Amino acid sequence: MNLNLNQVSVESEAEIILKDISFDFQPGKIYVLIGRTTSGKTSLMRTIAGLLEPTDGEIHLGVTRLDEVPIWERGIAMVYQQFINYPQRTVLNNVEFPLLRAGVSKADAKAQALAMIEKVGLSEFVNRKPSQLSGGQQQRVAIARALVRNTRVILLDEPLMNLDYKLREQLREEFRVLFKSTENSVTIYATTEPSEALFLGDELLVMHEGRIIQHGKPNLVFENPANIDVAQIVNDPPMSILDAEIKDGKVTIGNLMNFATPSHLKTQKDGSYKIGIRASEVVLGGSHSNSEEGEVSLSEVSGSETLLYVKLNIGEVVLQLEGIHDYYIGQKVTVSLAPERLFLFNMDGTLCAAPGN
Amino acid sequence: MANWNVSHSGLDWAGGANWARMFHDVNFWSSLFRLFYFSFITTTLQYIFGFTAALFAWRGIAARRFFRVLWLIPLMTTPSVIAIVWRSIFREDIGAANGLLALIGVHPVAWSTSIFPATVTITIAEVWQWTPFMFLILLAGLLSLPKEQFLSAEIDGATPWRTFWSITFPLMAPISIGAIIIRLIEASKIFDSIFNLTSAGPGNSTETPAYYLYTRGLREFQISYGATMGLAYLILAILTLTILGQIFARISKPRGI
Amino acid sequence: MKKILKYLFIILWSTFVIAPLSWALVTSFKPAAAVNNGATFIPWLQFQPTLDGWKDITGISGYANLFPALINSATITFFSTLVSLSFGCMAAYGLSRFSYGWKHYKNPDIIFFFISQRIMPPAVLAVPFFILLKSLNLLDTKLGLVLVLTSALMPIVVWLLVDFFNQLPKEIDEMAMLEGCNPFEAFIRTILPLSKPGLTVAGMFAIIFGWNDLFFGLVLTFTKVQTLPVAVVALNGTVTPFWTLSASAIFSILPLIGLAFVVERFLSKGGFAGAVR
Repeated sequence: MNLNLNQVSVESEAEIILKDISFDFQPGKIYVLIGRTTSGKTSLMRTIAGLLEPTDGEIHLGVTRLDEVPIWERGIAMVYQQFINYPQRTVLNNVEFPLLRAGVSKADAKAQALAMIEKVGLSEFVNRKPSQLSGGQQQRVAIARALVRNTRVILLDEPLMNLDYKLREQLREEFRVLFKSTENSVTIYATTEPSEALFLGDELLVMHEGRIIQHGKPNLVFENPANIDVAQIVNDPPMSILDAEIKDGKVTIGNLMNFATPSHLKTQKDGSYKIGIRASEVVLGGSHSNSEEGEVSLSEVSGSETLLYVKLNIGEVVLQLEGIHDYYIGQKVTVSLAPERLFLFNMDGTLCAAPGN
Repeated sequence: MANWNVSHSGLDWAGGANWARMFHDVNFWSSLFRLFYFSFITTTLQYIFGFTAALFAWRGIAARRFFRVLWLIPLMTTPSVIAIVWRSIFREDIGAANGLLALIGVHPVAWSTSIFPATVTITIAEVWQWTPFMFLILLAGLLSLPKEQFLSAEIDGATPWRTFWSITFPLMAPISIGAIIIRLIEASKIFDSIFNLTSAGPGNSTETPAYYLYTRGLREFQISYGATMGLAYLILAILTLTILGQIFARISKPRGI
Repeated sequence: MKKILKYLFIILWSTFVIAPLSWALVTSFKPAAAVNNGATFIPWLQFQPTLDGWKDITGISGYANLFPALINSATITFFSTLVSLSFGCMAAYGLSRFSYGWKHYKNPDIIFFFISQRIMPPAVLAVPFFILLKSLNLLDTKLGLVLVLTSALMPIVVWLLVDFFNQLPKEIDEMAMLEGCNPFEAFIRTILPLSKPGLTVAGMFAIIFGWNDLFFGLVLTFTKVQTLPVAVVALNGTVTPFWTLSASAIFSILPLIGLAFVVERFLSKGGFAGAVR
């Protein structure tokens, strides 16, 4: 059964929360919503669930007009980013609850609940209360509860956001396995992290300021962001964007970089553009026509990498370096941009050319 | 169900007559003035005593729990019944108050026949009865304060006095304000003590609006006049409370709470 | 120095608290002579204790019997508290979770409306209630008083509980609704079990105000039904000797003293943490 949204909007006088969302979700696929925190991912999920009322548009599940059905009859499961469980019930009771509400017999409910609890790896905790479990375990209970009903639509709103790094990686793997068994359901997963999106998603929906600005297979979106906004959302750390000019077969960036137009940009007309380059593709050192010297404005150690923000004449550039390095503010370094790895955007932000095409 | 004026079929439409009468009614206005005095003085005293007691019962002394129970007891008593007890205490001839004073060689005080002593008796009764209310709310508030600030103050070597003024008191500001407002609302309805202790006496020197309403409206069956006064009272009360609320809100904001 | 002040306060305040109660207690055991010839304080030293006062109020000497009034108070308070809690928690849940509105009057205004009912001196409400009960033939009945007290207690209950419910995460009942509960079921199955502290606080205040109510009892009941405060005050009105009055005072206060222990227990276990604003 398809989940179909048609021109769904949620607006008030003060703000636009969702605008003209139209999409057809098919069962058996994992859709990842990616976007910044206020982009509307949560609102979209809440609208599908019925917790938020659309001011415009229609939602259909199969042939049923979903937005006219009350929340408790929609048959939708949701996992929140704060671990929500019923505090006064044991793990077993928690997972049984939705089944009992749906009319399953007590014996069947117990059996199914136990099976799901085993799937998420919590069999030894069946009689504990959520307050006695760790964060990761609590979230597993919530996931078990969401999956046990085999609902037509499963919504997960940044479920791993409040967990620590290692746990996130572990659960991400487990998700892959768990979601394989949800072939008849539409699974929608929201996240802000591109790596999660790439890892889990069959299809990516990029959300920005209440709209879907691009959708497609994760790899394709990643390689061909429709505009600068998308590029910034699907790249972490963000792309460096600089003004550039193409003239007479040469690319000029600022005053100091001037090199021959790379092959993938040869078909572009002369004029002003914006170029983008991924942080992992800016290189330290080099003294060629595609390098420039600048000053370090910030150095951030993140995990096992160092992010270096370098201030050039024309703008700021971010580098992602492996390993932990020590840089001080004001230090002079030279950075190089590989011409074949440049993205080209129009002045209005839309994509002209992407590398590797 | 409340706040509803029943229009009796037997009532004539008197127009503004009742209101005019009320504006000229000295008793009504003097009872209101008296009420201001009573409410503010008793509430202030209750706040000071209640907070002090709450501070000690919080973690200041041994056998805290015993004192907590003890100091809660007046709240559990029936105000009207206790007022009767106070009346027997303040009986000028055979009451405990004058009896005790006699023991220290002080002249007996005319508790019920002089204006000021009569006021004092009401004040004492009210403070006794309702300080535990403040005590309870403030103690509950104190118990729910996060410990970190106090630990760091201790480490910094602040004296208890200093700690109180710089940390405890400001943190308790919202709860204090809430308690004071609630108490003011309840205090303005003061009736049980007046009814049972002084019967608004001597004369009508301890009469309050609630009591006055009672006599005029119910005892003397001037129902519509009673309703008029009640409405006026309500309007004044809501105005006062709104103004107070704004004042309090403004006081607590600049402190950065 | 500060310590002396501290202990001084504690002693003085405790004495103040105990004073009227001990006076009443002692007086309740005094014979006539001990009362009428001036104040006396210490039993056995200044007078011989007797049980006259107590006999008077328990019906043994035929003067008055406060036991029926006690039972009335207990029954009426129990039912008023029960009903106001039941309806009050539903109203509070509604105000906490849903948005009501009529033109531009929204939830905070409704809550204010509830609270403003506490501002009215009972005298103003007395007449409407009197007329209402009369027309329903419920004057001087337990049911009538329960109904009136319930409506007087509801504002407190609702106000306390709304605040309390606001602090319980909305997501829990959202989750229950997603899993097939309509709002009412969600309330019963998820929020209510978590509400014990809030209900306890609201219940305590309801019991205190209900038991100690004088006014409505005075106005709306006469001979068939009397609550304890009304009965005691009635004794006060007639020519009743002091020792009897004092005995009646102690008698009517004893039942709630136990509540002081319950409140303290609850307080010390951090029960109020969620209920205090």
